[in-house]
Amino acid sequence: MTTISLNVNGKDYRVDVDPQTPLLWVLRDTLGLTGTKYGCGIGMCGTCTIHLDGKAVRSCTLAVASVEGKKIVTIEGLSPDGSHPLQKAWAEEQVSQCGYCQPGQIMTAAALLAETPRPTDEEIVTAMADVLCRCGTYQRIIKAVRRAAQGGAS
Amino acid sequence: MSGPISRRDFLKVAAVAGGGILISLYLPGCDRLPGAGSGPEPTPLSGPDEMKPNAWVRLANDGTITITIHRSELGQGVRTSLAMILAEDLGADWSKVRVEQAVADIRYGDQNTGGSTSIQSSYATLRHAGALARQMLIAAAAQVWGCSEEDCSAENSLVTNKKTHGKLSFGHLVPLAATLPVPSVADVELKPASEFKIIGTRLGRIDDPEILTGKAIYGMDIRLPGLRYAVVARSPVLGGNLVSFDDSAARAVPGVVDVVQIRTGVAVVADSTWNAIKGRNALISTWDKGLHPDLNSADIEARLLGRVTSPAQDGELAAYYTLPYFAHAPLESMNCTADVRRDRCEIWVPTQNVQAVKQRATVVARLPGSAVTVHVTLVGGGFGRRLESTNRGGTPAVDYVEEAIQVSQAIGAPVQLVWTREDDIRYDIFHPMSVTRVSARLDSIDSLQTNLLEAGEVPTGYWRAVTNVPEAFARESFVDEFAFATHQDPLELRRKMLTGRARAVLDLAAEKAGWGKPLPSGQGRGIAYHASWGVTPCAQVAEVSVDDQGNVTVDRVVCAVDCGTPINPGMIEAQMEGGIVFGISAALKKAITVKNGQIQQSNFFDYPILRADESPRIEVYIVPSTEIPTGVGEMSNPVTMPAVTNAIFAATGKRIRQLPVQTEDLTG
Repeated sequence: MTTISLNVNGKDYRVDVDPQTPLLWVLRDTLGLTGTKYGCGIGMCGTCTIHLDGKAVRSCTLAVASVEGKKIVTIEGLSPDGSHPLQKAWAEEQVSQCGYCQPGQIMTAAALLAETPRPTDEEIVTAMADVLCRCGTYQRIIKAVRRAAQGGAS
Repeated sequence: MSGPISRRDFLKVAAVAGGGILISLYLPGCDRLPGAGSGPEPTPLSGPDEMKPNAWVRLANDGTITITIHRSELGQGVRTSLAMILAEDLGADWSKVRVEQAVADIRYGDQNTGGSTSIQSSYATLRHAGALARQMLIAAAAQVWGCSEEDCSAENSLVTNKKTHGKLSFGHLVPLAATLPVPSVADVELKPASEFKIIGTRLGRIDDPEILTGKAIYGMDIRLPGLRYAVVARSPVLGGNLVSFDDSAARAVPGVVDVVQIRTGVAVVADSTWNAIKGRNALISTWDKGLHPDLNSADIEARLLGRVTSPAQDGELAAYYTLPYFAHAPLESMNCTADVRRDRCEIWVPTQNVQAVKQRATVVARLPGSAVTVHVTLVGGGFGRRLESTNRGGTPAVDYVEEAIQVSQAIGAPVQLVWTREDDIRYDIFHPMSVTRVSARLDSIDSLQTNLLEAGEVPTGYWRAVTNVPEAFARESFVDEFAFATHQDPLELRRKMLTGRARAVLDLAAEKAGWGKPLPSGQGRGIAYHASWGVTPCAQVAEVSVDDQGNVTVDRVVCAVDCGTPINPGMIEAQMEGGIVFGISAALKKAITVKNGQIQQSNFFDYPILRADESPRIEVYIVPSTEIPTGVGEMSNPVTMPAVTNAIFAATGKRIRQLPVQTEDLTG
């Protein structure tokens, strides 16, 4: 066990865990931030996606020791009140089915729009292909990202 | 006025107020409506703060309406759609509606969330439950106003006096309505469809504010004081038994607090999920060779084929169609949280079958039903895996519940029992492998006969749409073959076979898809029809492209569905879209296979599912209807699979009779 300092959603934490623990489990089990989900544990499904210094990364294969001093943002910290343009677009396009993968989808889309505010459809599809959805909400995800990129218009 | 007033005093005051003064103060459209805004309140009615006319709804004097949802939310939207049904006949202001998930309780009747039944089987009950409450609120308003109930109507959480145009809010009326007798179902009228304000609208998901901000609670998100986390080492082969285990290395892993032998294997318990997984990795366990040490899925398939491949008779067309084992692979793997004490047991579980969970919990925990409480969390995908109570081998299929209870009992603390992705795929209860023989005399498609055979040794059970999957794949593929064998257009042949609502969805899908319009070389269009369990007619036209290497891309799927009265069209379209994606995954991705008694797949690299860049353009058309609404969750995936393979035939001339499609089927 090692004491590790983390900055999550603008807040500083000190956690006492095995430094090799994937960030996912520190967020969920140590800090109680359960919005970031476990899906596969091998970085394939994207359900656990968070932002590390603004980039979308899979938290299930990221050793907690490697993120000390970096800025971590989870779905809980994306916006103070659920008013991020993507969160609004997700509701308007009725994207959610079971909803379990949607935090990972939204965090992936948010990193895309932060880097590329007006993505082409191809850029949207390529970025969103990183995150699996067993309910099959893909078409609505693409529409919602497009809507958010266009400032909320459908 | 100060101090409590008697009911009689109050009625007098209120009648005067309601008949005169209030009207001038509270005009329709004004936001200062009694109990509905920030303006001066009319004299409060005396009585309880809450009315609870039945098990489904309660209304508070602040106007909040709480609707109980007895079915599980798996993504099909029941927590929204069931509430919409009740809210409609209640005359509710939707913004005042909250939902509350029911615990396991036989008062709610059947709580199984499977077979696409939630809407259809609850429709009349929930409408009446809402109408009864509305009638009581109207009766209360009539008393206040001293008018007849017939002069009152209710909408948008307000009762209106049709003669005086006076209005009273539901919240205001609650204390009086709560004291009135509940009318009998026969004495209330349901709204005519022409007056629907909520049913038929595209209301957003009631759970979206939580889902989209990460606050929604799925099974794995339950956090309790002192919660421990556990993972279980199970037999690597089907039906294997534990011979011995050495837990010294597992116990040496920091954070591991205990190692417990349970029925299904050895549970490693830790202070975090990760430490439990590490502990399991360090555990040494030895297993016997299990019930079927030589079992291979290829042999099972050969055996099934051997039983059905009788040759076609003269003048007959016959073919057989093979489906493999498929996994459910919901994104939230199986899990259960249990807190078992000496005299009680509390469980939190993402399940489709809360009453089976409770039943099993009473047996495993050895407690009476009254001591067992089962909470249903949001469910991160079900697709039938979380519906099973026993699989075909007779083993309790709520195994994750049993495991959580046994571990909690053993360590005397609450436990979250987590299946890793690998556990979830290896220990799934799979879609059964099947071979279906279909035949018909060439002079008449009406002579069509099917014979479905499934195999036994591998645990199998419900998988989205269950037997509709092999049934639709075999019949709709065969009808296509028959059409080509008899030089008919596949659409025209199906039009002869179908009537009424079935033919209507077929025609609608064909028309919207542009059936018959030429496509470039290498592309093809296929059509299929099915109504799962005979309830919801659905037709689809798929367009595919096949490249020189035999890679199939589904470019477009047009879907028409007649599900009776559409409750929430957006959610219906979403279910059809989701089923189409689910069906394409099954048709084009991978099967589950068995070698030497062991399931060979374990995660998304060897059991992939469709991704966003592989997903087609999907168009869904809902037939307008005022019939009883029917289910939509399992209506589209059975249709998609043959629509896609029929399109592959149109593109390549190669007939697919076995899923998943292999690239080598389409080359050479």
